[in-house]
Amino acid sequence: MSGADTDLPLFQQYQLAFTAHIRHPRLHARPEGVPAKRMRVYNEIVFNNLQSAVGACYPVLQRVLGKRAWQALLRRFFAEHQANSPFFRDIPKAFLAFLPQVETLPPYAVSLAHYEWVELAIASADTVTPMLTAEGDLVQGIPIVAPALAVLAYDYPVQKISVRFKPRQALAEPVHLLVFRNQQDEVKFVEMNAMTARLLELLQPGELTGLAALQQLGMEMGHADSTSLITFGAALLEDLRQQDIVWGVAV
Amino acid sequence: MGQAQSHHPIKGAGLGLKRELLPQIQAAYGTSLTAHLDFVEIAPENWIGAGGKYAKQLAWFTERYPIVCHGLCLSLGGPDPLNEDFLRQVKQFLDQHQIPLYTEHLSYCSDGGYLYDLLPIPFTEEAVHHVARRIRRTQEILERRIAVENASFYVASPIAEMDEASFIRAVLQEADCDLHLDINNIYVNSVNFGFDPHAFLREMPGERIVYAHIAGHDHETEDLIIDTHGQDVIDPVWQLLREAYELFGVFPTLLERDTNIPPLADAMHEVNKIAGLQAAQQGIARQQPADAVSRKRASA
Repeated sequence: MSGADTDLPLFQQYQLAFTAHIRHPRLHARPEGVPAKRMRVYNEIVFNNLQSAVGACYPVLQRVLGKRAWQALLRRFFAEHQANSPFFRDIPKAFLAFLPQVETLPPYAVSLAHYEWVELAIASADTVTPMLTAEGDLVQGIPIVAPALAVLAYDYPVQKISVRFKPRQALAEPVHLLVFRNQQDEVKFVEMNAMTARLLELLQPGELTGLAALQQLGMEMGHADSTSLITFGAALLEDLRQQDIVWGVAV
Repeated sequence: MGQAQSHHPIKGAGLGLKRELLPQIQAAYGTSLTAHLDFVEIAPENWIGAGGKYAKQLAWFTERYPIVCHGLCLSLGGPDPLNEDFLRQVKQFLDQHQIPLYTEHLSYCSDGGYLYDLLPIPFTEEAVHHVARRIRRTQEILERRIAVENASFYVASPIAEMDEASFIRAVLQEADCDLHLDINNIYVNSVNFGFDPHAFLREMPGERIVYAHIAGHDHETEDLIIDTHGQDVIDPVWQLLREAYELFGVFPTLLERDTNIPPLADAMHEVNKIAGLQAAQQGIARQQPADAVSRKRASA
């Protein structure tokens, strides 16, 4: 990126000097012979494009950091990050991957960013829906959960963070959030307890019957009375079906 | 490859498929509002691998309209190795959705990482060979001819060895590919670099033109236009399109509108105007069958 590689043809040395300046105008002067006014057009449009591509995915993080810190963060991302995907929806993902190396961010920032990014990821996930029947016994059969679904645990109450609420410390117990795409292709977030979150993790591969998953859950939780767990679990599975989280039973 | 080209199902007037316009086009489908919408154009970088509602929207359009893929991130003029994995995904996408035409820009957008914007290639001999080699490789992987677009830009490289028209001609000839003529870009560059757009148009290799774009822009200062695709098309650009049809015959032409998106009716007003110019030119051509306006086939 420095543009100093003299083995390259001249036009490529020029191109690399051109982009080095766009990425980091203070560190790299514009190529010789290029008018400042015209160079500035590129400095602005390239950065602004990136800014809107990233900003659209992270409205909350942007607001809690404030305009100045947000701009500085994007500047650094633009200067330092080598994006390796030609797909536009991967720009926010690259930004997310870049965040952990930034020391100056508030402690909740990476969790919040992940929470904001995952909505985009679930909305556009390219999934295949297995063969299923919407009716069917969720205990005896293999429940099929929404194919675009993620069970998440955050150390900060990411769903509550705003300009007015910036958590000072991590939660004693992580918050469990389910994000999924329903059959109308809408992305939904549901806060749930650790047990339901674990049940969904067990069901997600689409291999266990409802009964097997509940028994496994009972074992992990050290439950002696599996009968009551299964009665309770059957009602829970029905509830998940009502919420369009479980779509039916494998056929 | 020439055979497939002659059975090109892309014809008439089209509109760039922006997310904001999607539901409006779906709602107006089959009504007089969209009667002259013959095809739509998408950026593969937005649609490859997108599931959920995006996949359903795409399916809706592929079932109803011919589609053109207009790429943004191939970086034909870039210093990085050509992204062949990406091109194979493009190939699969074109095949899956039966998309007959893929076009890209005479520009670069990467420097070891993507910058996601169109940057100018210096017009040098070495650059001609570099770009032509990458276009040939692209055509090999995609197993079809591609068309490349004359780009708009704001900085004339001080190391240029030739003018833009010579660069375009040299690349197209060495790569043996088609031309995606952007009428608005000719006008934008003519203002930004002070040349005669009509003379430039006449220097274009008409026999290679398979597709055209028209768009509006933002006139910042007397000698600087920013190519935002965010305004109505101005009269001098319409005039250039009319002139291009007169010189080279009618080719499928698309209205680009990427920012400041108006209601569909306003965009369709301009799409209809494209269709009107095409019909007028074809009317003239029919009255004068021996006229030189009939399009020449690309030389094999």
